[in-house]
Amino acid sequence: MKDQLSALIDGEYDISDSEHLITSAKSGGEMKNCWAHYHLIGDAMRGDGVMSNDFSRRVMAALDAEPTVLAPNATTVSLQANQQSDYKKITKQSTKLWSVAASVAAVMFVGVMMFQQQFSQTEQLAPVEIAQSIPTEYLQAHQAAAPSSAAYYIQNASYAESKK
Amino acid sequence: MLQFKNALRFCILGFGVFSLSIFSISCIAADDAWLALQKTAYAARELNYQGVFVYQNGKQSRSVQITHMNNNGQEMTRNLVLDNGAQAGQPREVYSQGNDILIVRPKNEKMVIEKRRGQNLFPAMLPTDLQSLKASYNTRVLATEMIAGRGAQVIELIPNDTFRYGYKIWADAEFGLLLKMTLLDSKKQTLEQIEFTQLSMLNSQDANWFQPKIDVKKNYVTEDVSAVNHVDTSWIVAELPTGYVKVDHVTLNLPGKTTPVDQMIFSDGIASVSLFIEPITKGMHPKMGHMLIGSTNICANVIDSYQITVVGEVPEATVMQIAKAVTFKKQTALK
Repeated sequence: MKDQLSALIDGEYDISDSEHLITSAKSGGEMKNCWAHYHLIGDAMRGDGVMSNDFSRRVMAALDAEPTVLAPNATTVSLQANQQSDYKKITKQSTKLWSVAASVAAVMFVGVMMFQQQFSQTEQLAPVEIAQSIPTEYLQAHQAAAPSSAAYYIQNASYAESKK
Repeated sequence: MLQFKNALRFCILGFGVFSLSIFSISCIAADDAWLALQKTAYAARELNYQGVFVYQNGKQSRSVQITHMNNNGQEMTRNLVLDNGAQAGQPREVYSQGNDILIVRPKNEKMVIEKRRGQNLFPAMLPTDLQSLKASYNTRVLATEMIAGRGAQVIELIPNDTFRYGYKIWADAEFGLLLKMTLLDSKKQTLEQIEFTQLSMLNSQDANWFQPKIDVKKNYVTEDVSAVNHVDTSWIVAELPTGYVKVDHVTLNLPGKTTPVDQMIFSDGIASVSLFIEPITKGMHPKMGHMLIGSTNICANVIDSYQITVVGEVPEATVMQIAKAVTFKKQTALK
C-alpha cells in the first residue's frame, strides 16, 4: 500500500482507483506519515530541499485544524467505517474525495511556492500584474500633490479606513 | 438689368455682413465663456460662503461642509467631512490658509494632525491663470440650469485631443462661484462629480469657526509626509503628452517603503498626472500593467530595475505614454 501511495504522489498511479489511498492517508497514523515523508522526499529529489520536516508538519496540522466545509465530509466518516464492506459506495464518492485530495495538493503546492519565494529574494522577482494590488500609497501621494484635486482628503479618508 | 446687378451686389454685401456677424458672435461666445470661467476661478477665492457639497467618484460618495472667507486677501477655508463611515461623530477637519493645508483626523484612539502643501480644492478647482487651459480645451456654452436653488451658467470644456477628459462646469449666474463640476470621458459619461447641495453667502466677518474642535480627552499627534524638493534629476520623460508640463519634482518617504520614491507631477492646468520612480529592492514584486479605480488610471512599468508607476485622473493613453517615455540619463541631465 505504501508503494501505491508513493506511486500516487509521483503521478504514476491511476487516480480513479486511488480513493482508498487518500482515505487511509487522511485517516492518520502510519499512512499519514508516509504521505508527508514521500512528499518531503519528492521535494528533496526535485531540488526543493529547503522545506523542513517541521514545515510539512505545520501544514498537515493546519489542515487538520481547518474545519472542512466540503459536503462529502460527513459521509467520509461512514466511508471509513464501511470501507471493507461497501466498496461501491466508495467509488460513487470517488470524485468528491479526489477533490479533497486535490485541495490538499493545492495547499501543499502554494505552501511550497511561498516557501521558495522567501529563499529566492536575492534575484529580481518576475513582474506581476498591477491589478492584483492597489498601490494605495501612490494614489494618496498623487492626490495630495496634484495642483487641482476634487477632494483628495475625502478619498484619503476611505483609503485610510480600508488600510486599517 | 442694372437693378438686378445692384440687387445682387446688395445680396452679396448682405451675405458678407451676415457671415461676418456670425463669425464675431462665435468669437464673442468663446471669449465670454473664458471670461465666465475666469470669474468662476476668482469667485471661489474671493467670496465668503458656506455650504454643503457632495463628491462622487466610482462607488465612493462623501458630503462635506465648507466655510470659506476672504479677510482682506487672507483666505481661510474649513472643510468638514460629514459622512466618514466608521468614524461617525468625529468628522475629519481640513483647514487651509495661504499655502498650507492642515488635516485633523481621528485614527483609532488618537487624533492625527497632518500638514500638507496647498492645493486647488473645490470650489477653487480652476486655476486663476487660464492660459494653459486655453491651449488644450475648447469651450461650449450650454443652456442654464438650477443647482442648489441657484441659477447656473453651464460651460463645457472640450479637450482638443485624447490625452485628457472633458469637464462640465456649472457657475453661479450671479456670483460666478463654481456650483457643480463633472469629469467626462470621450463618450461624455460622467466619471466624477462634485456638486453643492446647499449654499449661502456669508455676510459676517466672524472667523471663530476657523479653529479645530479640540477634544481634550484625546491624544493629538502630528504626522508629516516628508517631501523634499528635488532639483537635479537623472530621469527624463522624453515625450510628454501634448499640453502637459512638469510642475513639480519631489522625493518622498512613503509609509511601507524602505527607499525614497521620486515623484514628478505633470499638469495641463487642471488635469494632473504623477510619475513615481522607485528602485526595485530585494524581495519586492515589480508590477506591470494597467488598472482603473473610479476616474483614476494607473499604469505600472519596469525600466532598468526601477518600478515606474503613473497615476492620474486622465485617460489610459496619457498614463501609458508617460510610463513608456521615461528614460534614465545619468550624464545628460543638465537641462
